Amino acid sequence: MSERHILSAFDRDLEAIQAMIVKMGGMVETAILDAAQALDTRDEDLAERVRQGDKAIDALEERINEESARLIALRAPTASDLRTVLSVMKIAASLERVADYAKNMAKRANVLGQMTAIGGAGGSLRRMSKAVAEMLGHALDAYIHRDVALAEDVRNRDKDIDQMYNALFREFLTHMMEDPRNITACMHLHFIAKNIERMGDHATSIAEQVIYLVTGSFPDEARPKAESVTNVGVKEL
Amino acid sequence: MNDMTRREAEITATAIKISARNAQVYYGDNHAIKDVDVDIHDRMVTAFIGPSGCGKSTFLRCLNRMNDTIPSCRVEGRITLDGEDIYDKRVDPVQLRAKVGMVFQKPNPFPKSIFDNVAYGPRIHGLTRSKAELDEVVETSLRRAALWKEVKDRLHQPGTGLSGGQQQRLCIARAIATSPEVLLMDEPCSALDPIATAQVEELIDELRAQFSVVIVTHSMQQAARVSQRTAFFHLGNLVEFGETTQIFTKPRDPRTESYITGRIG
Repeated sequence: MSERHILSAFDRDLEAIQAMIVKMGGMVETAILDAAQALDTRDEDLAERVRQGDKAIDALEERINEESARLIALRAPTASDLRTVLSVMKIAASLERVADYAKNMAKRANVLGQMTAIGGAGGSLRRMSKAVAEMLGHALDAYIHRDVALAEDVRNRDKDIDQMYNALFREFLTHMMEDPRNITACMHLHFIAKNIERMGDHATSIAEQVIYLVTGSFPDEARPKAESVTNVGVKEL
Repeated sequence: MNDMTRREAEITATAIKISARNAQVYYGDNHAIKDVDVDIHDRMVTAFIGPSGCGKSTFLRCLNRMNDTIPSCRVEGRITLDGEDIYDKRVDPVQLRAKVGMVFQKPNPFPKSIFDNVAYGPRIHGLTRSKAELDEVVETSLRRAALWKEVKDRLHQPGTGLSGGQQQRLCIARAIATSPEVLLMDEPCSALDPIATAQVEELIDELRAQFSVVIVTHSMQQAARVSQRTAFFHLGNLVEFGETTQIFTKPRDPRTESYITGRIG
């Protein structure tokens, strides 16, 4: 819908909440990349900044929810306007979760900084974080441009993240089996990997919101999925 | 969610009460309604929405031949009630209007008592045989119009002395006193305050247990609140007709979208 509302204040309200989503998306992308860098380079100051930055992201989510509630109450949006408001609220919730995972990664980065490094784990997690941050950035680009093809592309990329996670899962298991003194560090690293994998799911969910916003329907469940590690250990142990 | 599924099931289950095929209306040379095909389901509320002058009231008035009273007006196409052509020469418009009642935008009680307003239809159509029976019809109609409690002690005072909301409910009581099968409502709440509007809307929802109701409204939220099916008219065309939920969440036609979201269409 590129046409303007007869009531121009309605357009301004809708634009305002969408601008907040874009701002929030930018902050979350930075948090992911900074947390991963702090982990990889053992930068405690950067990790602390990520942890502190989460408050601003939470506050922004709250504002988005308040503005959305106000818009629903005062403007009674319908059709694509209603979908815009609903998708804004869901995207804000996803972004808030992703920011929490980034904050958690920053916390664990500080703990891991005190331990012996595990192989190339820092570098691998940083690459995985970059891939997820990029997915998130593209999901938000798809949102701004109402670009269903780009949203579909993001959705299809989630399997790459799952594969990276599966590979790291096996790698951490190997390190733990080799030397039990690695277990504490590997458990932290595993939670980080799992959380990055969850970030990918949220980016996918944002992409699905874009598809809903534009088409009015959610995409089919079927999308490429990587092999699951849920059953790892059934044979080995 | 359950409610929504139930409503969808109802829509396919109820019979078609009024059917219009290829309906055209002309006022002199002005082609006001163009090729309209509509099915009005029994026991369901159908809302007609659209900008002023789109033809929704004109089309509503075709359904009980109110347009017959306008000399320059010409109706073509086929409009049936229970499969019978209502424009057939053998159909008596007065009898038709007893079956297809109407409530107008402004409350228009007769300058008579409250009782006589409601008793008017049953009397002229000879629907009751005794005073007791007529009393009962009046009471039942006023009760169904949610007005009985407020007027039962002053039935013989003039209907014009009631408040606007009460007058409109009186007109609804008058319209349902002849036990119509279809009730046409042309912006029945536009002169009412929000409380009276809510009462009329509640009444419409109750009425659909017995009748099919067709309502023309300028309030999109009202259409969304009371109807199960919504038709959007624009420049004399029926642009889109579907389930109300679908029209308000996922309209198919861009003109419908523009109109219901308050954009310039």
